[in-house]
Amino acid sequence: MRFLTKVSAAAALSLSLATVSQAQTSGSINVNALVRQPITITNGQDLDFGVVLQGTPKTIAETAAAAGRFDATGTANANVNIDFTLPANLVNGANNLPIGSWTGCYNQSAATNSSGCTAIANMASTTATAFGNVAGAGRLWVFVGATVTPAAAQAVGSYTNTATLTLTYF
Amino acid sequence: MSRSLILALAALTGSVTPSAAQLVVQGVRDLNFGPVLQGFAATVAPTDPIKSGQFYLRTPGIGTRVRIQFTLPTQLIGPGNARLAITFGANDGMAKGTAPSSVAAFFNPKATVIYRMVTSADANVWLGGRITPTANQPVGSYTNTVIMTVTVF
Repeated sequence: MRFLTKVSAAAALSLSLATVSQAQTSGSINVNALVRQPITITNGQDLDFGVVLQGTPKTIAETAAAAGRFDATGTANANVNIDFTLPANLVNGANNLPIGSWTGCYNQSAATNSSGCTAIANMASTTATAFGNVAGAGRLWVFVGATVTPAAAQAVGSYTNTATLTLTYF
Repeated sequence: MSRSLILALAALTGSVTPSAAQLVVQGVRDLNFGPVLQGFAATVAPTDPIKSGQFYLRTPGIGTRVRIQFTLPTQLIGPGNARLAITFGANDGMAKGTAPSSVAAFFNPKATVIYRMVTSADANVWLGGRITPTANQPVGSYTNTVIMTVTVF
């Protein structure tokens, strides 16, 4: 069941008959696009807990010197969404070391978290912000912290995993 | 004999003569590509519920024949008069009546199309397209206008 029928050549007669009785109306819309430069994100610094003790949780704040840091470039002043993919464990072979209580902040003007770093309220949801404008270049630095919670019988060794930052223009 | 024919034609013409007031064409939604990246082409399908452009069309009634023509840009205009190429493909136009039984019809917006309204007197027309920013395309906002002209006959 179609709502409209594409008129065939047989309609030509009707077309000529109606030539003097046409009604014509126009409407318009705009076509819009925002051109942005591709985003780059590099690992500025790993989030490194160093030595932790069995049975003793350890926290590194997003404002600490040991916080993890992502360095991003994009279009100056362009709106961008921040999203994270964060692990629940650090891994050493078959052994897991729980990690959680993630925290974060972002800085639009400098690669520092000691001042001017805006806290990210919820690491599990999207945070809207914009690239800063540093001498005409779009820059954004994102810092993350977390807490690891070794069990009393946590297997000793080196644990690691990956935290991923995704930036999306909007 | 010839007089009868003339009268018959006049009656036929009169019965389908549309009034301009009965024909409505409205722009409903812009065709919005949103953020696109330098060097990466971006496509919006006419079926995209958010980004596709949309027009609304109301005709004098079921059975009406309409001719749809688009005035399409080949470029969007941006900062410093920068140009961004835009193209439209063979299936970037989509029309669908407002009746529950209506089925979408795809068409080439670069060509004139003629339809007869069968299940409803009004319809929506959607438009997609494709833009191709160059690797050094100036960043910023680009825009242009699409016009849809509908003729009832």
